[in-house]
Amino acid sequence: MKVLFSRITEAINAKPKIESLCDDLTLIGIEVDEIKSFEGDKIIDFDLTPNRGDCFSVKGLARDYCAFKGKKFSSLKKISFKGETKFTKKIKLSAREACSAYSAVSISNLKSKKKFPENIIKTLKAAGIQSIHPLVDIINFVMLESGQPMHVFDQDKIQGDIEVRFAKSKEQIKILGEKNIKLTNDCLVIADTKETIAFAGISGGLNHSVSKKTKNFIIESAFFDPAVIKGKARRYGFQTDASQRFERGVDFNLHEIALIEVLSIIKEIYQADISEIETIKNKYFPKKKLISISPKDVNQKLGTNLSENRIKSILNRLEIKLIKKNKINLTFEVPSHRFDLSIKEDLIEEVARIVGYDNLPQIKNDQVSQHYEKSKHDFINEMKIFMINKGFNEVINYSFLDKQALENLGIENKSISIKNPLNNSLNTLRTSLLPSLATNLVFNINRGQNFLNIFEIGKSFSNTSHSEALYLAGLVYDDEKFKNWNTKQNYDFFFLKGVLEDFFEEFRIEKISWKRSKNDLLHPFASADIHLKNKLIGSIGSVNPKLLKSLGLSKAFFYFEIKIESLLRKDLRKLLAPSIYPISQRDFSFEIDKDISYEQVNECIQNSSKNFLISSRIFDVYDGKNISEGKKSIAFRLSWGSNKKTLSEEDVNNEANLIISGMKKKLGALLR
Amino acid sequence: MDLDALKANLKKDFQEIASQEEINQFKVKYLGKKGQITELSKNIKNLPSKERPIFGKEISELRNLCEGFLDSAQEKIESLIVNESLEKDRIDVTLPGSYKSQGKLHPLTITTKKITDFFSSKGYLIEDGPEIETDYYNFDALNIPKDHPARDMHDTFYLENGNLLRTHTSPVQIRSIEKRGAPLKIICPGKVYRSDADKTHTPMFHQIEGLVITKNINFGHLKNEIMTFIDFFFGPDTKVRFRPSYFPFTEPSAEVDIMDKKSKNWLEIMGCGLVHPNVIDMAGLDSKKFSGFAFGMGIERMAKLLYEIEDMRSLFSNDIKFLSQ
Repeated sequence: MKVLFSRITEAINAKPKIESLCDDLTLIGIEVDEIKSFEGDKIIDFDLTPNRGDCFSVKGLARDYCAFKGKKFSSLKKISFKGETKFTKKIKLSAREACSAYSAVSISNLKSKKKFPENIIKTLKAAGIQSIHPLVDIINFVMLESGQPMHVFDQDKIQGDIEVRFAKSKEQIKILGEKNIKLTNDCLVIADTKETIAFAGISGGLNHSVSKKTKNFIIESAFFDPAVIKGKARRYGFQTDASQRFERGVDFNLHEIALIEVLSIIKEIYQADISEIETIKNKYFPKKKLISISPKDVNQKLGTNLSENRIKSILNRLEIKLIKKNKINLTFEVPSHRFDLSIKEDLIEEVARIVGYDNLPQIKNDQVSQHYEKSKHDFINEMKIFMINKGFNEVINYSFLDKQALENLGIENKSISIKNPLNNSLNTLRTSLLPSLATNLVFNINRGQNFLNIFEIGKSFSNTSHSEALYLAGLVYDDEKFKNWNTKQNYDFFFLKGVLEDFFEEFRIEKISWKRSKNDLLHPFASADIHLKNKLIGSIGSVNPKLLKSLGLSKAFFYFEIKIESLLRKDLRKLLAPSIYPISQRDFSFEIDKDISYEQVNECIQNSSKNFLISSRIFDVYDGKNISEGKKSIAFRLSWGSNKKTLSEEDVNNEANLIISGMKKKLGALLR
Repeated sequence: MDLDALKANLKKDFQEIASQEEINQFKVKYLGKKGQITELSKNIKNLPSKERPIFGKEISELRNLCEGFLDSAQEKIESLIVNESLEKDRIDVTLPGSYKSQGKLHPLTITTKKITDFFSSKGYLIEDGPEIETDYYNFDALNIPKDHPARDMHDTFYLENGNLLRTHTSPVQIRSIEKRGAPLKIICPGKVYRSDADKTHTPMFHQIEGLVITKNINFGHLKNEIMTFIDFFFGPDTKVRFRPSYFPFTEPSAEVDIMDKKSKNWLEIMGCGLVHPNVIDMAGLDSKKFSGFAFGMGIERMAKLLYEIEDMRSLFSNDIKFLSQ
């Protein structure tokens, strides 16, 4: 809301510096967005919170300011008005709760007595309101001053009587600004006998608006229930000065006062025939709310020690009047301009505002003590630190992306679309982190990066019961033989697998198995699915070369993605006491069929030597010279030990023989 | 050869020794089976018995001298060999290390950690919740009325089935009260989504919210918690102000500003307030028994202040040169 500084100083009857006025208003919750110079004056742009409809005017701001400063505030007073003619139209309030008070007046034979006041034009201009017609300008000026929106109709265009009612089905109205609106039956309208003449509380109808040719006018000033106006204009994609005020709530005792103010300005400038004010009010007209509160309530919530008198006087400054009192409670009456006060806490906030938040005490509180629980968040942080220690940089991507990107990879079928995306490149929730990380790769390659190792921990979404799951994904890529002057190794499958094996070790995730992958995003023969106790938790491998083009890449990268939701470590592992007895080690080299996997061999070794085997470590895989066709050589270093005794030569020989014979029997392996 | 001549030769030969091989030759020449000292000692039998002890003593001294020479020659040669091999190991110590294997955490992770570290140390539990939320948890349970502007399609991302992407981390508060009851002290960091994109807004961003529920919570408790946090995060000389604001889920509500040390402008850093009794009741507790305070801040905004970042969007560009700083 844009307001002229000079209007405020007039309303508060004081001339503080603009900075100190703005600081004071900020401290009572009226935020100042911007101050700008304007025709030798200043415009202050306020950012009002939606609860403070009462501040949506010069008088409203002044009222709150004066309450804070303890100054006297002079509000618009109701003066009596006597019209010369009768108001001839009948007014019917059919939507009795939505509009419980309606005033109208008719004006004809308008003749200028003097020049139209400059300050009205200037005030409107500062507020960003176009000057349309002198009478419209006057009601807008009074709206800016008082907060009461009003409307001027061309009386000659209204046929028959005036009715306030809800819209009928298929009813339409063309509002000011040429917009055609299809109303629904929860929209309040003003209608004449024939058609809709205004979208009540929001905008007048174009066909009944005033122009230079208008001879006879009707000015409307009414009270509309905020609940009925709220959200309606926004539903049709616009808002007006009237809708903004009515939906926050306009003082229900203001509509006649503001109308009389308009008429007195008109009479000052024009000679005109003005009718009596016709006012219709029904039983649904709001009553002032009552709130009971005790000083103890206030002090308990604020940590203060305010006396009853202090509380009374603070609230009194805000026109919140004490009307009843018993031993415990004070009952206050909420003024007609405050729609935001209905419970105790609301009054407590009012007291706090005027005392000043900065003047409230600071109190230590150690009431709540809870047993420490390692959270998912802690666990994720540990994973992140693990990854950066492995050389990966953390990235954070948007959870949404272009559906096309998922389609290109053939993984769009489980995706969830956003109904109202910001733009098409952000229209779908990601079903995998791969497109995000691949995009990061392309972006960085285009910026001259030759190698990249990145990871992300984030959610991926699937339309099966609208589920979301947390993933850890990593990507490594290099385009250079020599990453450093003496490091000649490129990233490969086993580099990434090593990272994950260490990861599982660090986070004590056991029973992991690696199987040829079924993931279409990955290379069919150089990738693995990762299973935890036979449940698929992720995949790892070289990206499928078929996808490179749609990813915008010319060279493959290595990628993994694991679901980490199920990997959260709960307890500390018990530590085994170290053995005091020595360990025996022997190396073995076997010749076996080429297509026997490491996993099969390892399993055979583990099953053959059950007594003292501590570890088996593969240190060589070889085929070629000195190895028969279709065979390969694999070499292990095995370690045995016991925490009860030193193993004898015989103990170790027995175990070794069990392995040699087991390997021969189960896998046809020959000791070399 | 007489003894003196032999002694002179011995000294001369010793000084010329320059390799292991020459040591061996020296040893053979003097102490071998046919070595000069060995040969000389054979002469003892030709001497009169009276002179024999003196000669014997002289030979023995000569032998000792020779062995002493051998030891020191051996020492000298060994140290020569070591020095030679050390020389071969000479490297350029100014070359960079082989493999630089330290990655970096994202600035938002570091900022979040700085915040959660503070609250964790004060006994808050860290809670999390779903990013896809229902109308109920995102709005209704937080006392946000049906016609509130925040529910608008312009502000909230809705999904096909009527659910939405949470617009704040506040639903986690409700879920935690439902799960854990009271007393309760939690902090909830996480991703949130709003339909907004410019220099200071991204459609996805991060928030962190705190909630304390117990008996007799007052505004002073809230102020104390926030002030201690600001001291921790921005330094104890930071100027702070609390000003009234409006959130449907707190009453009284406040915004907290800090004074930017350079520009001397007030910067809004968080919103907070005493939990609205409707929220406490809706979550299944009795607002007559329990009260609480809540606060929330945008992590990007905090990161912006911490790292002096101009454009919020750079936090999501994932430019490795930006991230690996």
